[in-house]
Amino acid sequence: MQISMFNQTFELPSDVLAAWIFTIIAGGFVLLYVIKKKKLPLIWDYIRTTNHRKIGTLYILFGVVYFLRAGLDAVFIRLQLAFPDQSFWVFQQEKYNEVFTTHGTIMIFFSAMPILLGLMNVAVPLQIGARDLAFPFLNAVGFWLFFFGALFFNLAFFVNQAPSIGWTGYAPYSLNEYTPGVSTDYYVFGIQLSGLGTIFTALNLIVTIFRHRAPGMKLTRMPLFTWASLITSYLILIAFSVLAVALYLLMFDRLFGTAFFSGSEGDPVYWQHLFWIFGHPEVYILALPAFGIFSDIIPTFSSKRIFGYPTMVVSLALIGFLGFTVWAHHMFTVGLGPMANTFFALTTMTIAVPTGIKVFNWLFTIRGGLLRMTAPMLFALGFIPSFVMGGVTGVMLSVSAADFQFHDSHFVVAHFHYVIIASTIFGIFGGIYYWYPKITGYRLNEKLGKWHFWLFLIGFHLTFLPMHISGLQGMPRRVYTYGADEGLTGLNFTSTIGAFVMGAAVSIFLWNIVITHRRGVTVGADPWNGRTLEWTVDSPSPEHSFDPMPVVDQMDPFWYAKQEKRQLAICANPRPAPPDEQSMIPISMGLSLFVLAAALTYSLYWLAIAGGVGIFVLMAIRSWTDRTIIEEEEEA
Amino acid sequence: MTQGEIVIFKDKQLGFFIYLGVETIMFATLFATYMIFTPAEKGPHPADIFEWKTLLLSSFFLLSSSGTLMMSEKGLRSGRKGLLVLGLFITLLFGMTFLGLEILEFSSYLQQGYGTSASVFFGSFYVLVGLHAAHVAFGVGWMGMLFLQLGREKHAASFEQKHRIFSYYWHFVDVIWIGIMVIVYIPYLL
Repeated sequence: MQISMFNQTFELPSDVLAAWIFTIIAGGFVLLYVIKKKKLPLIWDYIRTTNHRKIGTLYILFGVVYFLRAGLDAVFIRLQLAFPDQSFWVFQQEKYNEVFTTHGTIMIFFSAMPILLGLMNVAVPLQIGARDLAFPFLNAVGFWLFFFGALFFNLAFFVNQAPSIGWTGYAPYSLNEYTPGVSTDYYVFGIQLSGLGTIFTALNLIVTIFRHRAPGMKLTRMPLFTWASLITSYLILIAFSVLAVALYLLMFDRLFGTAFFSGSEGDPVYWQHLFWIFGHPEVYILALPAFGIFSDIIPTFSSKRIFGYPTMVVSLALIGFLGFTVWAHHMFTVGLGPMANTFFALTTMTIAVPTGIKVFNWLFTIRGGLLRMTAPMLFALGFIPSFVMGGVTGVMLSVSAADFQFHDSHFVVAHFHYVIIASTIFGIFGGIYYWYPKITGYRLNEKLGKWHFWLFLIGFHLTFLPMHISGLQGMPRRVYTYGADEGLTGLNFTSTIGAFVMGAAVSIFLWNIVITHRRGVTVGADPWNGRTLEWTVDSPSPEHSFDPMPVVDQMDPFWYAKQEKRQLAICANPRPAPPDEQSMIPISMGLSLFVLAAALTYSLYWLAIAGGVGIFVLMAIRSWTDRTIIEEEEEA
Repeated sequence: MTQGEIVIFKDKQLGFFIYLGVETIMFATLFATYMIFTPAEKGPHPADIFEWKTLLLSSFFLLSSSGTLMMSEKGLRSGRKGLLVLGLFITLLFGMTFLGLEILEFSSYLQQGYGTSASVFFGSFYVLVGLHAAHVAFGVGWMGMLFLQLGREKHAASFEQKHRIFSYYWHFVDVIWIGIMVIVYIPYLL
């Protein structure tokens, strides 16, 4: 379809048109609901909030929205691949490139990352007895940077400029020469904005964990989710800083005439190095928090202390460290030479050791425990065998000589979906079921939760197990069709059925949320008979939590206090809490950078200057109005 | 600062040190980029365009501005407001002089026709040294804010915190400049 506007003709494919119509209708319904239920004050409150639970909720909410959008992309991919020589709707050739690019990019940067950061925001302060993150204002800034970065990236599709460079953005395809339009700029700026927000949040979490623990909460008594968040935050600081520079250089290549990644003067492989120095730790940034979630869920529902706590912490740290030494295993076929390939093959295999330690520790925690098969526990139990399967194919891929066969085939697609879905997505679902009472005060319906789990588990294996075989039979990734005579039809059709089963599971999850809120049955502070400090505060967690401040005398303090039928000791004068405030500045900062990004994308330099001036003015206002003096203390 | 303020300030101190760590990684990546692409196959050799005079002059102003900032910090600690203001003012002047020299250097290259697209060497030079100059410019603006907040007696404790955090930033920017001297300029001037 073509539309004439402002003396220009726009090409508007039917999928974009459908997205516009759907968004307008859905937006209308949301608006109606907001007005009818008088939710505007609530929205106004959340826009200005700096409270960790509320920001965590926002992270999770938008993460789930983008999860649905990227999930829809996945469904389109599977429909296009359902039959040989198929032409489903518009998703062939360039459109297919767009749909797998947005699927990957959104799932990783705008869905998995924010939901994990959201869960950290909600749970970490409550687990260690902190009243908020160390810098609540910065936390809000981090969220709004993610929000506007994600919005910017997603808008590309609505103007029919979705990036088509893969989530890896490989040069030279991502350079002006091959993608001359604005589509790749949406990728560059969308990820840059949200990546900066992620760095700030990681910094915030580290300071919180080091300086805001309750009295007696030694590092060696911390819940493992907090440990995982701490180590993940370190990985984020390093990996996302490198990514920020990689995108900065790519921006210069695209907009300001440099040639770092070009084939003529620069080096396209340099992009690959920078990207994977970020990208491989990113895999652990996604996986470690999930490991942490399971390490909290499994002891809770096994009614047992975690097995081998010190080795759990050490293996987290080892995985984090080794994660920085393996990046070139994504580049075995580039031609780095046998020495480099051998080095990276060995380091990659080494990672299996600490991961194996963790798996055995989870199993030994379950062994002999008093098990309760709740929804979060089911996700944890489903995770272990599924993730191990992904780990095993990972070791296969690390054999660099064999990787020449596996590379860029559906075998790799199967592998990374096995590890990421089994760890991150199962972890996210488990974590949402587990902490939902702490976020909202309601507990999600257990029966629907079990349906959700089983359908998702079955759908997941149905989708990705056949890809191992189709990959080994030679089906390449990122190619939009295959021939009828290639023996891939049955495998691909099975995968498509699996994708729909997963879609059904996610629908049940959404329905579960709807009916849980409609029924509105609130639960108390400790619905799961928990072990750690977050179950001592009310559900949902109050804005002024831990008043009075508990004193921690051992690991799992709440559990042992309950066992011995005593109260946790109380600390009379805890350290001052982080300043509690409401502010419009964080969202305005995000908006300024959004304007800056849009202006640079479309080379509107006057607008870019306006956006840049905006951000500095907002910083100055913040500096002028910031109150660091603690009012209560002055009175006292 | 009261006891509570010191605790909150230590949070900020740690947070800002971590932030400087992030910046270190970013600059390290840019230094690596520069080393990979310099000298470039085409375009002028860095030895032909760098000059001792420019480097020494701008280094003199930027590096001694760290010393004058220490003077200001001493004034802050000992409560001598005159020393504080004088030190900060000279730091501001030196920072601005450095920026002026950078602009002159960049524009002389541009006049010779060497922009970002002249060669990958020039590209990696501009993204690194330009980002550093942007940090100096940001620091100059920050000092401007500090001067504006100087008179706000009510927020004396807050001013002290801001001043101290700024010092960490400014010294960090100087350390990066030493890296630029050693890695970007000196190997091609010797």
